[in-house]
Amino acid sequence: MTSTALAQSTGLSGWLRRRRGLLGAIALLVAFPFIISIVIDGQGLAAVVNNDLGNARFLQGLAIEIFILGIYAISYDLILGVTGILSFGHAMFFAVGAYTFGIMLKSFELAWPVALLVVLVAAVLQAILFALVLPRVHGITYALVTLGFASVFWIVIQSSDLADYAGAEVGLQGVDAPVWFLDTTNERFIFYLICLAIFFGVYVLYQHIVDSPAGRVFVAIRENEDRALMLGYNTFWFKLLVLVIASITAALAGTIHTLHQPIVTPNVAGLFWTVTALLIILIGGMGTITGALIGAAVYRLLEYYLDKWFAGAAGLLIGAAYVLLVLYVPYGIVGTWRAKSLRIKEGRDRLLKLLTGGGGKEEPAAKE
Amino acid sequence: MSLLELHDVHTFIEQFHILEGVTVEVPQGSIVALLGRNGAGKTTTLRTVLGLNPASSGKVIFDGVDITEQKSFDIAAMGIGYVPENRQIFAELSVEENLRIAERNKGDLAGKEEMIFGLFPDLKRLIRLPGTNLSGGQQQMLAVARALVANNRLLLIDEPSEGLAPVLIEQMMEAIRALSEHTTVLLVEQNFIVASRLAQHYAIIEEGRTVKAGEMGHLVEDEETVKRYLGAA
Repeated sequence: MTSTALAQSTGLSGWLRRRRGLLGAIALLVAFPFIISIVIDGQGLAAVVNNDLGNARFLQGLAIEIFILGIYAISYDLILGVTGILSFGHAMFFAVGAYTFGIMLKSFELAWPVALLVVLVAAVLQAILFALVLPRVHGITYALVTLGFASVFWIVIQSSDLADYAGAEVGLQGVDAPVWFLDTTNERFIFYLICLAIFFGVYVLYQHIVDSPAGRVFVAIRENEDRALMLGYNTFWFKLLVLVIASITAALAGTIHTLHQPIVTPNVAGLFWTVTALLIILIGGMGTITGALIGAAVYRLLEYYLDKWFAGAAGLLIGAAYVLLVLYVPYGIVGTWRAKSLRIKEGRDRLLKLLTGGGGKEEPAAKE
Repeated sequence: MSLLELHDVHTFIEQFHILEGVTVEVPQGSIVALLGRNGAGKTTTLRTVLGLNPASSGKVIFDGVDITEQKSFDIAAMGIGYVPENRQIFAELSVEENLRIAERNKGDLAGKEEMIFGLFPDLKRLIRLPGTNLSGGQQQMLAVARALVANNRLLLIDEPSEGLAPVLIEQMMEAIRALSEHTTVLLVEQNFIVASRLAQHYAIIEEGRTVKAGEMGHLVEDEETVKRYLGAA
């Protein structure tokens, strides 16, 4: 491509400039426990590293839950928001990771890297299972078939025959941290940093995927699969690729969940857990990738604080909050921000011009 | 020599028998217009060539190869491009991304940039805009440009003048003439004036059957046939 029309700024400085928001968010989140420790707990910096009890430690735990939800939701955004595959079985992707990792550690006493490898294989296999039906069913029918897969898995993990492994209705419990740096109880800050790194690592990877040539095909499949076929793309392989990536990502979120929570309940394989991912990307902005992360934070904080402040009425208020969000932020937080950003920028420029004394004279409209 | 041949093609869409015997020959290096009234089966003929509505019987031969039962993506990869009616560009992708996605080999777009932006200078100016921000005419240009990115040997163009202002129709005709120097074109066009000025050959489809075919020059002089099948003179 010639330099004129399609050239892009590259290099480290360009990358840093484009990523300044992301780098700022990472820096803020690394500093976050220390800020809480000093400002709210009245403790020193060492309290964070020493894993002392307090708000800093508790809020790190809450943040880890947000990271887990964000990683899980971003995988659903790739499937539904970016590629347009309507799956109601997404919870299974998460639950397979959570249960497989826990069972491999607890019942089979495998080393954690080997257990992770087993999770990886299981994630790829379930993605292939979900892809096998793709050529035959579409839209809502595909959603129901995938819901069927997840429901079967939900029933199987609760069966009494597997109680020794999966803990039946109670769930999987007693999975010990396999190594010191994955110990959320005794090394909360280290575990927090690891989860933070995975969270943003997954985010950057997903942005690269969506911006890649394959990512453009994913969007093309969502917009008009026939057109993608007519351009010579075998869309089945692209959809399989999406399912494999999303399955591995959701399973990764599941493994972190197993490490962080004292118990993995069968709820994480149920329909509500899929709806949770859907709600998060609706709140954040479907198909935006960034929205999944922001949506996860809003979802979990809303749930936690409304429950804390209003207890019994929390469910009603959360429902009302979702209705209001859908009504007044129709494309989700990120989607609506993007849609309105040009207008906001124009308003800001006008305000700046007024404040700096440049107002009053209209500049001629720039020609396209 | 014909680049594309359809022999007695029958196509069903669900239980409906849409094509009931379409026979068309598209000579290499020519523009052939598929003519007929609304609902005659012209678009279905194009979709059958592409395997999107596969033929139930008959043969579709491209460059000597029987493609009747091939998959759409394989047919497209053989060098057949499609410009569907109503543009159908990818609205959320930018102009550049719409062009890039049509690359079959890395560098396809780079090699064609001069030709494409020569034919459609507006697209160069709008390169970063999402498809949804383009006007109808610009979207039509993008749809044609996209089909030019890959090294297609045959372009199937469906209703390129539909919904365009007269000045844009002229521009589109110029573009189709220019691109026909590089590739063979099978054109579906309701506007007989446009079709007659572009194409060297024609085939008229009526109720899913080819009822007449030949050289465009002869059809232009045959007012009775034009009136009977196309309702125009």
